[in-house]
Amino acid sequence: MNTRFKLPPQIVRLVLLTVGIVGSYLIARAFLTPSSFGQYGWYRGDALMEAASHPRTFAGKPACTECHEEQAKQLAKFNHQSLSCEVCHGPGQAHVENFDVKLPVLTHGHCLRCHEKNPSRPHWHKQISSREHFPGDKCIECHKPHAPSEVP
Amino acid sequence: MDVTNVVVEAMPHFEGYVYPNEATLEPLWSVLIVLYPYITGLVAGAFIMASLVRVFRVKALEPVYRLSLLTAMSFMLCATLPLLIHLGHPERCYEIMMTPHLTSPMAIFGFVYAWYLMAVLLLELWFDYRLDFVRWSKTEKGFKGLLYRILTVGVTDESVGAVALDHKLSWIISIVGIPSAFLLHGYVGFIFGSIKANPWWGNVLMPIIFILSAIVSGIALCVIHYMIVSWVRRKPIDMRCLDIMGMFLFYALVVDATIETLDWVHRIYSKEEDFAVIQQMAREKLFFSLNIGQALCGTLLPLLMLGATQLARKRIPDIVRKRMYLASGMLIVLGVLAMRWNVVIGGQLFSKSLRGFMSYKMEFTGMEGLLMGGAVLALPFVIFVVMVKLFLPEKSPAQAAEAVTI
Repeated sequence: MNTRFKLPPQIVRLVLLTVGIVGSYLIARAFLTPSSFGQYGWYRGDALMEAASHPRTFAGKPACTECHEEQAKQLAKFNHQSLSCEVCHGPGQAHVENFDVKLPVLTHGHCLRCHEKNPSRPHWHKQISSREHFPGDKCIECHKPHAPSEVP
Repeated sequence: MDVTNVVVEAMPHFEGYVYPNEATLEPLWSVLIVLYPYITGLVAGAFIMASLVRVFRVKALEPVYRLSLLTAMSFMLCATLPLLIHLGHPERCYEIMMTPHLTSPMAIFGFVYAWYLMAVLLLELWFDYRLDFVRWSKTEKGFKGLLYRILTVGVTDESVGAVALDHKLSWIISIVGIPSAFLLHGYVGFIFGSIKANPWWGNVLMPIIFILSAIVSGIALCVIHYMIVSWVRRKPIDMRCLDIMGMFLFYALVVDATIETLDWVHRIYSKEEDFAVIQQMAREKLFFSLNIGQALCGTLLPLLMLGATQLARKRIPDIVRKRMYLASGMLIVLGVLAMRWNVVIGGQLFSKSLRGFMSYKMEFTGMEGLLMGGAVLALPFVIFVVMVKLFLPEKSPAQAAEAVTI
């Protein structure tokens, strides 16, 4: 009498299929996992260098100061001193590399982003309601962004 | 230029105070992320419906057992699609498997999904269908024959012992499947509920609410599918089966509505400093989708209709009951979609400062637009139709054989 235990065929096939799927997954992983993965954490170590090698769009305040010294000096005396030039003027790397490339034209939207009246802003921060404060006029007709406390 | 235009240009979508990182053109999670928990919920719910038959032995629901499993399967295949489209770069989809992340809550969905698809749904379907596959592979020719032959995985044993083993294993997988279905959708609730800083989301009841609403939407979808499939095939609807489905739908909806109300009571009472913003959300920003969509159409009306069918089942004629079940099912399915919308979009419509609101206007075309959302939501139904054609003939060989033996 044959009393040897025999696995049912469904189980045998499913086990084989599982081994096949897991095996092909492991083989695929061996080939497709990037070599620098896990170097510093759950990401490709090479990604840091790749991100660093992207072309620059912002030049930084020192680059602007090299040519526009006068404006930089003026700015340093007033309340906008902590702002970087490119906060208002837009990214300037292209302009630094080639002076023929002009910076984007400003609108008063730039001023209103910080100075439109908003009850959540601190009281010491200068704010106006653009609907009531000389509607239709441009901010720079009365105010100097580089010397905001001066009245022309 | 008119000054008001300037203001609109400067702050186009906001009211009050909004942090700079919240000042995006539209919420970071848009309509596709609404569909993701919705589709996953339908999977979990349809599976729970099927397990009522296998695990809890509700014999009356036998006619919808396979239909529920196929519903779960067709939606399961599309569950990751909204995420894939939302993230962009679908060609990188394999990378999540090549470099699995073991500590990120978001990445854990990969494991939960893989477990549920491979170890639960596919296996349960395979054990349930194995005998049919063997018989179909012998009778069918051409593509269908080839498909069935592949699906037998080479196991052609039709003996009584082998079939009994299929049933037993299918039952065991069903039992494993219930906590897995809870896990699948509880996980989605956990993703939102674990965000402590957001008063609209951060709530320990969130996983439970997601599971319960998933069960409700899944059963409702099975009711709709059963009625439509029967109508298309010109087959009479088994009223006893439909009544029992309606009964389970009613009870599930009662529990779901209770827990969701409890969640609201808890939220209103405990979120002291967030209360004003939550109130404004409910009264203004989400008035239609929350009060009308989710509460009135998605919960109250179906509760009344299903409650009436429970109280006066014998007095309501079959045809009216059918209409009531279908209407309730459709309202619930839409109501749960509104609920997902309220959770996902609602949580992103107010600033973390609690003093400002963002807005969301869905675009029509585009990767995150109405058209794409519609296509993603339509795809599981297309897959379902194909699956019904392939795997749900009017009478399966196994059922036919059982009928002869009985």
